[in-house]
Amino acid sequence: MTMSKRKGFGITVYILFVLAPIYWLLNMSFKTNQEILSSLTLWPETFTLANYATIFTDPSWYSGYINSMIYVSINVVITLVVALPAAYAFSRYKFVGDKHLFFWLLSNRMAPPAVFLLPFFQLYSSIGLFDTHIAVALAHCLFNVPLAVWILEGFISGVPREYDEMAYIDGYSFPKFFIKIFIPMIRSGIGVTAFFAFMFSWVELLLARTLTSVDAQPIGAIMTRTVGASGIDWGVLSAAGVLTIIPGLLVIWFVRNHVATGFALGRV
Amino acid sequence: MFKNNKYPKTLLLSVAVGAAGLGLSLQAYADQYSDAAKKWVSEEFETSTLSQDEQLKEMAWFTEAAKQFRGMEINVVSETIATHEYESNVLAKAFADITGIKVTHNLIQEGDVIEKLQTQMQSGRNIYDAYVNDSDLVGTHWRYGKVVPISDMMAGDGKAVTNPMLDLDDFIGLEFTTAPDGKIYQLPDQQFANLYWFRADWFERADLRKQFKDTYGYELGVPVNWSAYEDIAEFFTDGVKEIDGQRVYGHMDYGKKDPSLGWRFTDAWFSMAGAGDKSLPNGLPVDEWGIRVEECHPVGSSVTRGGATNGPAAVYATEKYVDWLRKYAPPEAQGMTFSEAGPVPAQGNVAQQIFWYTAFTSSMTKKGLPVVNEDGTPKWRMAPSPHGPYWEKGMKLGYQDVGSWTFLDSTPKKRRLAAWLYAQFTVAKTVSLEKTLVGLTPIRESDINSQAMTDAAPMLGGLVEFYRSPDRVNWSPTGTNVPDYPKLAQLWWQYIAQAASGESTPQKALDGLAEAQDKVMMRLERAKVMATCGPKLNEPREASYWLDQPGAPKAKLADEKPKGETVPYNDLLKSWEDAREG
Repeated sequence: MTMSKRKGFGITVYILFVLAPIYWLLNMSFKTNQEILSSLTLWPETFTLANYATIFTDPSWYSGYINSMIYVSINVVITLVVALPAAYAFSRYKFVGDKHLFFWLLSNRMAPPAVFLLPFFQLYSSIGLFDTHIAVALAHCLFNVPLAVWILEGFISGVPREYDEMAYIDGYSFPKFFIKIFIPMIRSGIGVTAFFAFMFSWVELLLARTLTSVDAQPIGAIMTRTVGASGIDWGVLSAAGVLTIIPGLLVIWFVRNHVATGFALGRV
Repeated sequence: MFKNNKYPKTLLLSVAVGAAGLGLSLQAYADQYSDAAKKWVSEEFETSTLSQDEQLKEMAWFTEAAKQFRGMEINVVSETIATHEYESNVLAKAFADITGIKVTHNLIQEGDVIEKLQTQMQSGRNIYDAYVNDSDLVGTHWRYGKVVPISDMMAGDGKAVTNPMLDLDDFIGLEFTTAPDGKIYQLPDQQFANLYWFRADWFERADLRKQFKDTYGYELGVPVNWSAYEDIAEFFTDGVKEIDGQRVYGHMDYGKKDPSLGWRFTDAWFSMAGAGDKSLPNGLPVDEWGIRVEECHPVGSSVTRGGATNGPAAVYATEKYVDWLRKYAPPEAQGMTFSEAGPVPAQGNVAQQIFWYTAFTSSMTKKGLPVVNEDGTPKWRMAPSPHGPYWEKGMKLGYQDVGSWTFLDSTPKKRRLAAWLYAQFTVAKTVSLEKTLVGLTPIRESDINSQAMTDAAPMLGGLVEFYRSPDRVNWSPTGTNVPDYPKLAQLWWQYIAQAASGESTPQKALDGLAEAQDKVMMRLERAKVMATCGPKLNEPREASYWLDQPGAPKAKLADEKPKGETVPYNDLLKSWEDAREG
C-alpha cells in the first residue's frame, strides 16, 4: 500500500514536471502580450482568445497547418507503400549482400538533413517541383523510408513463414495474400511506422523551409514571422505552438496501444 | 449543302455575339478596376498628401500599366513589422483589386528573408519575385552584380511600368540605397532609426534634478556625450535606486550569446563612439564597421591593415558596452536577447537606454502601460543618441534601418516587372501616408511634413520631430564599404559575446573579429566572385603607421571621459524647429 502510494507520488511529480512547459505554453497562448511581458502569472488574468483568432482568421497563418498536414500525409503514404514490400523482401528472401544493404539503408539517416539541402533545392527547382507538397514529402522519404524498413522488417520477421506457405497452399495469389492476410497481421507495426514517419516529417523544418516559398510553406516557417524588429509576438507564437502539438496528440492517441511494441521494433 | 451554307452564318453570328460580349466584358473590367480604386481611395487611403483626384489619377495609371500582367500571380517577401503586415493584409489586396495582379506578400523572420535571398543569388533560381531587404546589403548587391538596380530598370525594361508620380526626390533614404557607381540599387519601403530613449517625466522632477546637479555639477538632461550618459546611468542605478517604491535602473541593454548581439554592434555602435572617419552617410575611407576602402576596394579591417575594427575607439566602445551592462542594467539583462530586452523599458523601471529602435514606438505607446499617461501620451521621449569621445562633427551618429525593395536578375523579366509595379504601389503617395501612420516607418519627406503627422506627433514621443530635424542625416544604415554583409555580419556576435561574458577582454575579442573579417575578405579576393570592387587586402604593417596618420584608425585618447554634457529636451526641439524654418 505504502509502496504503491510512493510510486503514485513519484509518477505524479514526474508528470507535473514533464507537463510544466506544455502548461506554460498553453497558459501563454491565452494571455495578452502585455500580460506575458509584465508579470509572472500562473493563469491568464485577462483571458483572451485573440491569439487563436489571429491564426484561424488569417489564411496565410492557417494555410501553414494545411500545407504541413498535406505533405506529412503524402510522406506517410509513400513511406508505407515503399517500405512494406522492401521490408518483406529483407525478411523473407536471401540475396547477395542483403545484410549489408539492410544495414547501409540507415546511412541516409546518419547525415544531418542540412547536407542534402542544396542538392535537393537544385534538383527540385530544375524539374519544377520547388514549392510543392510532393517535393517536401519526397525529401522526407529519404529519412523515413530506411527507418520504416527497419521497423517493419522486425514486425514481419515476427510472423512465422508458415503463414505465407499456408496461404499459398490455400490458393491465395501473392498480392491477395499480402493485402488480405499479411497486412492485417502486422497492422500494429504499420501504425507505429506511420507514427514515426509522421513525427519526423511534422517537426522537420530545415528541408521543408528551404524547398518551399509560398504555396507549400510549412507552419514552422510561418511561425518565424512572430519574431520582428519590434519584438516577439509571444501570444500568437504560443497559440501556434499549442496548435502544432494537437496533430501529434491525435496520432499518438490512435497508436497508443502499439507504441511499446514499436519501440522494441517488433522483436517482442 | 443546306447545312454547309448555314455554318458560316452561325459562325459569323457567334463571332459577332462573342465580340460584343468581349467588348462588354472589357468595359465591365475597366469599370471594375476604377470602381475598386474609388472604393479603396475613399475608404482606406483617406489620409494622403494627394487630393482625391490625384489619388484616382495615380490609381488609374496603375490599372493601365498593369494591363499586360492581369491575372498573374506573384510572390514577394519581407520581414515582419507593422508596416509590412499592413502591406501584406491591406495593400496587396488593394493592388489586386485595382490592377488584377494577385500578390502574395509573404512575411517571415528577417534572417530567413536573407537566407532565401542568398539562396536565390547563389543558385540563380527564382524563389521570390521581389524582396524587401535592408539597404545594409547595398555594398553586397553592388559588388556581386546579381541585383537589377532600380535606376537601370526605370530607364530600361521597366520604363513603361514606372509610375510618373513616383517622385524619387521625395524619398529620404535614397542616398542609402545608392552605390558609388551612382546607380540606385533598391527602393526604400520603410525606415526606422536607433535613438536615445529616456523617461522625460523623471528627468523633469525637481527633486531628481537637484540631486543630480548636486552630485555631478551639471543639469540633468538629454546627454550629449557618453560621459553624461554614464553619469545618468550611475545616478539612477546607484544614486536614486528607487522611485515610488520601485527599483529603477539607469541603463538597459542585452548580452546573451545570440546572433542578435551582432546587430547591437553592426548597427553602428562604433559610429556612436566615433571609431570611423568623417563623411555621410558612412565614414570614408574607414566606416563604422572599421573596414577601410581604397578606390572602392575594401583593404582590411585590422588596424595593421589600416582598418579600425580593433582600434582604440572600437575597444573603448566595447568596454563601455560591457561595463554599463554589468554595472547599471537590471541583472537579468545579461542573459537577454534583442527581442527579450526590447519591451523591458515599457515596464517602467528603466530611466534611459542608449540603444533603442524607433520600431518599438507603437508598442510603447499602448494605453495601460506604466510608461504611458492617462491621456495616451507617452511619459518617455526619444532624442539623438549621445556620442563618445572619438566622435567629431561630420561623422554618422547612429543607425537607421532602411528596408528596401530589391529585384534580382534571376527573376523572370515579366514577374520582376509585375513585382516592380507592386513595389511602387506600396510606396505611392496615394497610400504611403496611411501606411506611415500605421507602421511609423516614414520614407517620404512629404509624409513627414504632412498635417497628419503633426497631429500624431504628441502621441509618438518625438518620432516626428526627429524625422523633421536636420540631424536625421547622421543616422544611416551600413554602407558600401561592407563587401558581403551576410558573411561578415555573422562573425560579430561570436566575438562580441566573448567580451560580453568576460571570457576575453574587449581588445582580444576585437582582435579576433578583425582577423576573422580580414580572412573572409581574403577568401572573397581569392575566389574572385565579385563583379566590381572586390576586396584587395593591404599587407599588414606596424599598427603605429596607421595610428599616427589623421583619421581612423584613431590613436588612443589620453582622456576618454571628458566632462558630461547635457541639453534640455525642449531646447533640442527648439533648435530643430529653428533649423527647419531657417
